[in-house]
Amino acid sequence: MGNRLEGRVALITGSGRGIGRGIAQLMAEEGAAVIVNDFGGNLDGSGGEQTPAQEVVDGIKAAGGRASANYGDVSKFEDARAMVQQAVDEYGRLDILCHVAGILRDRMVFNMTEEEWDAVLAVHLKGAFNTVRHAVEPMIRQRYGRILVFSSGSGLGSSGQANYSAAKEGMVGFARSLARELGPYGIAVNAIYPGGATRMTASVPSASRELRARAGITSGGAPRAPQQNFSDIDAAIGTPRDPGNNAPPVTWLCSEAGGVISGQVIGTSGWQASRYSPRQAIRSISSPRRWSVEDLQDVVPNQLTVGVNNPAPMVQPKES
Amino acid sequence: MGALDGRSVVVTGGGRGIGRAIALLAAAEGASVVVADTGAEADGTGANPAIADAVVEQIKASGGNAVATHSDVSLLEGGEEPIKAALEAFGKIDGLVNAAGIRRDTPIWEMTEEDWDVVIRGNVKAQFVPSKFASIAMRQNRYGRIVSLINDAGLGAVGASNFAAAGEGALGFNRTLARDLGRYGVTANAISPLARTRMFGGYSEDLRPPAGVLSANDVARIGRPTPMFQWEDTGHPDDPESVAPLAVYLLSEGAGDINGQCFGVRGGDIYLYSNPTIDRQILSYGRRFTMDEMDEQMPRTLALGVPSPVEAAHHH
Repeated sequence: MGNRLEGRVALITGSGRGIGRGIAQLMAEEGAAVIVNDFGGNLDGSGGEQTPAQEVVDGIKAAGGRASANYGDVSKFEDARAMVQQAVDEYGRLDILCHVAGILRDRMVFNMTEEEWDAVLAVHLKGAFNTVRHAVEPMIRQRYGRILVFSSGSGLGSSGQANYSAAKEGMVGFARSLARELGPYGIAVNAIYPGGATRMTASVPSASRELRARAGITSGGAPRAPQQNFSDIDAAIGTPRDPGNNAPPVTWLCSEAGGVISGQVIGTSGWQASRYSPRQAIRSISSPRRWSVEDLQDVVPNQLTVGVNNPAPMVQPKES
Repeated sequence: MGALDGRSVVVTGGGRGIGRAIALLAAAEGASVVVADTGAEADGTGANPAIADAVVEQIKASGGNAVATHSDVSLLEGGEEPIKAALEAFGKIDGLVNAAGIRRDTPIWEMTEEDWDVVIRGNVKAQFVPSKFASIAMRQNRYGRIVSLINDAGLGAVGASNFAAAGEGALGFNRTLARDLGRYGVTANAISPLARTRMFGGYSEDLRPPAGVLSANDVARIGRPTPMFQWEDTGHPDDPESVAPLAVYLLSEGAGDINGQCFGVRGGDIYLYSNPTIDRQILSYGRRFTMDEMDEQMPRTLALGVPSPVEAAHHH
């Protein structure tokens, strides 16, 4: 129990379960009043039940904290407005926004439907815009705010997740741009690469991950811990895959002291905290005149991309 | 001998700017080209079929092979038209250039829901839709080259958070596209260009921010491109034609080992970008961090060497 967030008000989307829940609980312990938003939907975005958010609120209150439930859908602009309004109406301000809510609709790109694309971008990326757009209004008035959008290492490339990679890396660009735009108003903005065994990760069959690994398709992110088949998510409690592990670095970034970090991508999974480099120019070729294609046919493979790995080399089809 | 002799290439956004320059050079290198462009304004509104048609006429006048399409590639319905046109007119599709893009710069506190939706759809979904349809044909053919234009706003441009999200989103999409398709002999690479077009009206010299503030170029460690001082070519280094040679090279058969990468082009300077990696890390042993440990460790580890815009403003 601490007082690092005493007098602060936090809105945590997707905090009825998983990673969001652990953050809501720790922020409440640190003194914040928390709006626990959870649509309570199924992982594919359908349905809706009010229980998960209310259970988290009840737990926070039982421990002596302040919290209220919100059942809005982050993909809806007006629902996001209502979440922010609820924070201001009930607790007088909004200091912290964590957009954690997410869904998965994995599919190889050539089979992906428009509905699968739209649904994933709506919750993750549009949800980030919807919540940030409304949250910046009280934050700019206060000249204070802490915003974290929960991205994913899958934004660095992950076979079968074209929609999720687009949404998640889009959130990184959004956060880096906002950090500079909102810095003068005392608002820090970062993107998080979280981790942990949750309903969401459990929904990706480990068999399909193993299949891709065997085919030599490498992901762009940091090496992942070996996939364990947590048929029961409770089995992850107390291990590096415990979703609660994300809460201390996330809560710290949302404290006043956390303002020293803004515009960064921070990894919070497991028993570690990491800072990721942005993509940066590591090699270059230069010409005082426009390149010809013929010159590039020589210079690019022999200089610019020499030694660079193909993350998914061609597999020769078997003769049938 | 052209680098793309006998190839069939679709260029979205091929009616103007960088897309047009790529379409013209691809045709000059021997490709049959589908010029796909609605002819919309830079903010995504309006339509004008004459824009794509003019590029087709120009290619034909030089003895090349080209057809135009005018549908909106950011919607599944109609988005397959350029790919269908390539299959019908040229019998196959070997290359796709996702060059269609739009922007609506505005501060976050004034941004409307429409400003957001239109920019994400027009830059990210507009790459998904043609890539999906092209990848079906390329996978069957065990050959394909996809090149997508992104932008560097996501490294920290101010007042364009929608365009920043779109640029990195398109890059994240391309990294996965490369991994979904590589095994079938299909590559996908991204180019972050800087050229003087409708979407960016100034010269790259104008991008310098006030002293002490990191620009997107600084974050990318690009700094001021050298050709600004040494350029010997006719025309300006910021002309969209400077981006076309790299795009056409990546469309060629010989570039088949290059997959999932991101390049930058500034005039005669071509950059290879790194993929983000962990550059600082703190570890806890056998349990999660305590908040006291965070207080003690974060300021002197993860916060070091990356000036926070909040702190910079605070000290002024």
